[in-house]
Amino acid sequence: MFSDKAKEEIQQVLKKYPNRRSGVMDVLRIAQRERGGHLVKEDMEEIARILGMQTVEVNASAAFYTMYNVEKPVGKYHIQVCRNISCLLLGAENLIKHMERELNIRVGETTPDKKFTLSTVECLGSCGTAPMMQINDDYYENLTAEKIDKILKDLK
Amino acid sequence: MSTVKINGKEVTVKDGTLILDAARDAGFEIPTFCYQADLMGVGSCRMCLVEIEGQKKLQPSCITPVLHGMSIHTETPTVMSARASMLEFLLANHALDCPVCDKGGECELQDMVYKYGPHKGRHAEPKFKFQEKDYVLSPVIIKNSNRCVQCMKCVRVCGEVVGANVLGALGRGDHQEETSFLRSFLDCDQDGNCIEVCPVGCFMRLPYRYKTRPWDLKGKDTVCPYCATGCRMVIEERDGIVIRAKAQLGVGLNSETLCARGRFGFDFINSPERLTKPLVKRFGTLEPASWEEALGVIKDNFIAAGKNIGGIASARLTDEELYLFQKLFRSMLGSPNIDSSARWAPEAVEGFIKATGMDEGGASAFDCMESDTVLITGTHLSDENPVTDYIVRRISAGRAMNLVIASPRAMKLDSSASQIVRHNAAAEGHLLDAVTLSVYGGNVDKLRDVPGINRIKDARQDDLAGKAGCSADDIKAIARKLTGEGSVGLFAGTEFLRYPGSIPGLALLKNALKALGKKVTIIPVLDRANQRGAWEMGVHPGFGPGYSPVKERGMGCADMLEAASSGELQALYVVQSDIVAMHPDENFVRGALSGLKFLVVQDCFMSETARLANVVLPASSFAEKDGILTNQEGRAQIIRKLLPPPVKAKRDIDIIRAVGETFDRSFGPKNPVLVLDEIRKEVGMYGEVSLAFNNKRNVDNKLDLKEALVKPAGLAEGLNASGLETKLEPKTDEHPFLLATGNHLFHSGRLSRKSPTLIGLLKNAIVEISAEDASALGLMNGDKVRIKGRYYEAYATLHTRSGSKGGVAFIAENYDDVPVNRFFRRGEGVPRVSITKA
Repeated sequence: MFSDKAKEEIQQVLKKYPNRRSGVMDVLRIAQRERGGHLVKEDMEEIARILGMQTVEVNASAAFYTMYNVEKPVGKYHIQVCRNISCLLLGAENLIKHMERELNIRVGETTPDKKFTLSTVECLGSCGTAPMMQINDDYYENLTAEKIDKILKDLK
Repeated sequence: MSTVKINGKEVTVKDGTLILDAARDAGFEIPTFCYQADLMGVGSCRMCLVEIEGQKKLQPSCITPVLHGMSIHTETPTVMSARASMLEFLLANHALDCPVCDKGGECELQDMVYKYGPHKGRHAEPKFKFQEKDYVLSPVIIKNSNRCVQCMKCVRVCGEVVGANVLGALGRGDHQEETSFLRSFLDCDQDGNCIEVCPVGCFMRLPYRYKTRPWDLKGKDTVCPYCATGCRMVIEERDGIVIRAKAQLGVGLNSETLCARGRFGFDFINSPERLTKPLVKRFGTLEPASWEEALGVIKDNFIAAGKNIGGIASARLTDEELYLFQKLFRSMLGSPNIDSSARWAPEAVEGFIKATGMDEGGASAFDCMESDTVLITGTHLSDENPVTDYIVRRISAGRAMNLVIASPRAMKLDSSASQIVRHNAAAEGHLLDAVTLSVYGGNVDKLRDVPGINRIKDARQDDLAGKAGCSADDIKAIARKLTGEGSVGLFAGTEFLRYPGSIPGLALLKNALKALGKKVTIIPVLDRANQRGAWEMGVHPGFGPGYSPVKERGMGCADMLEAASSGELQALYVVQSDIVAMHPDENFVRGALSGLKFLVVQDCFMSETARLANVVLPASSFAEKDGILTNQEGRAQIIRKLLPPPVKAKRDIDIIRAVGETFDRSFGPKNPVLVLDEIRKEVGMYGEVSLAFNNKRNVDNKLDLKEALVKPAGLAEGLNASGLETKLEPKTDEHPFLLATGNHLFHSGRLSRKSPTLIGLLKNAIVEISAEDASALGLMNGDKVRIKGRYYEAYATLHTRSGSKGGVAFIAENYDDVPVNRFFRRGEGVPRVSITKA
């Protein structure tokens, strides 16, 4: 069940769409934020009810995009590192390995204290500042190992 | 028209034709996975790539229409290497577990790799696996996603044709999996169309699993024995056991689709409960006997009964059997008392035949659907005739038309409708009268002389709308659509037979629209495979074969039972009909049958009626006989014998003939082919009917062979359709729900109750009411409830349906644990019931 605030927000965003079904992406985003970074069965059922869709359609929309974490809980900070060509050429692979070492987890895993989840993603549209990554809603750009150490330290 | 060159061959096709269709028509084969004629094109599998001169990249032919002057090549080295590459990619993650895959031997991927593929793979990486073990998706579906080729046909057929929309594509790229919501257990129509369209062994039949290899199966073309849609299918056996029913693309009006009943309900054929030898009652118990003894007993008792004899034959028998049955009674036993239904009154049947114009010959359901406005009334189409529902959904999605659905109960097809009208239960007549009155209001001059218009022309619109339980706006909107531009199609279902008072309303609306110069196509929607055939063969007390007039009017089922109670009727011959389970008021039937001197029942199973018989004869199922069935449209279709009848059971036609031969050795004709010859001679409607509508795969997907439709009967005299009324028990506070009956989606009559797979889908009785009524009573979906009428009470599981009209409780006729006919009392009309928490 969504909070009253979330329900109100959903009704607001749905006004943007002539067809309620088209609002599924926005509503999924709100639901994921409410849940703390991922989506569960009940969320998708609720969304299907609100939008008049089939549950599997909501599921399929969510499963298509890597930004939605379907039934995959993430830590408080979800680190998404770009591994596409510009970032890769500028050393993203080493940065990923560096973070795996620092956090003592592998890509796709969450630290035991549920603070960090490390994932790799496709291009985030910030090639000019490669290599880069996104932590929750913020971009961190022109990364180096030192910068990353500082970012992680600040978050810890 | 566009003229294009395909591999140098010049062809002229309609504008907008897909390159794929044009090439296939021209005789060039193009392989596909994701293309299916009935579904919207997605062009995802890339197997159908072709080379078009002047275009650098290969184009998917299944979504590219031809352009005038195009020069297309389908077999160049570039195209061939593209096909091989696509297959190489598909095999990169494919499980390649062919030796244990049910699809092995009839797998499209196997065939294509064999024909076009690289015979060596270069992918050295470990294969991606969706899961280690196959998972069960429903009682009839098991899934192995590792074999998927991501053609999306399952998802599309589920949404576009079936309308269930419970499958989706989760994930993307090679990790995309077509499955249910979070892979959960499916609560859907269980029709297995996803299995049928799957080119590989990804969706599989659970009951068929590991039973056989396709090349060990022996199959025969046949027609589904359940509802009257008349779906063509193939049933296949191995070692005398039928293990699969399947539909074929481009064959029959159903093409590749079937419903749960058709696809999984065939297994009653193999039931160990089948009757295998004749039984004769000795000192109160039925004991095995020889055919000679059983026929001797029948002869003696039929002679003793003289003309005081009656016959009831099931509307699932073949035309040949039904023809011979009426011949036995009319010309051999000298009795006019025959009927083909334990449920409908003979007058209602005549009225319905006249109102729907069945005597004017067959009408194609496709023609009806091609009308500009289609009205579906008197049937819960989605549950009663699921494949008709698929056809309506598919066609209505592809063209601009008005689809009006009038029904008290909400149905799956509602989502395709442009107008939904919820009227009171049993009020079809009032609704149609109100519509006609609205039409009349604007066309008084043209409609003044329409027969029957006087009945309503002075009525008040508010009164009629009130009785129908809908708003005047709804009625005006329907009238506007029906009188608007173009033709009208009507689907009229069995509710008209259940509530005969509605029939004059249907007849009047048809006549009024015709008087306005409209083209009106009516399809009667029936629930027994050969109900129309039974009537056209003259198994009815009021008319003979081809609806011809009879010299002496006989008694219908209800009158025969009445006569049996009073001792007037002495003997009754019942063929494959379970009157005790089907006729409204079970106690009355039991009393009446016990008043008979002699009852002979011929059936596949020991039915409730058979238990009361003096002689029981073992009959055969649809898989054990040759013959023709006439579907609701009036399309005559062949069924073929796959197996011999079990042990000493016989084909119904042989039994009926043997009974006749005990009186006269020359009774015949002697076999189905000769009977059909006689039918063609005697029954004008069937004289020239084509039986070519056989299972021949036709690539162009032309499903509508009009020559298979029966011809007009050409009757000068009309049928007797007087005294039609609907009798309902008065509404009381104690019993607020009107009891509606019909068939459940998974069952048809009582025959389907002998199918283990269908029983697995739904065993115990459910009662359905609207979600609003349920919440007013404080009841929830799935609650155990008590249903109480004036004469009977029973317990069932509650099923709620949102969007249904209030005040109606639906219990299907199929359940042996809640025989719905026990709520009825002869002469007291449709009962009302109360529903409380158990």
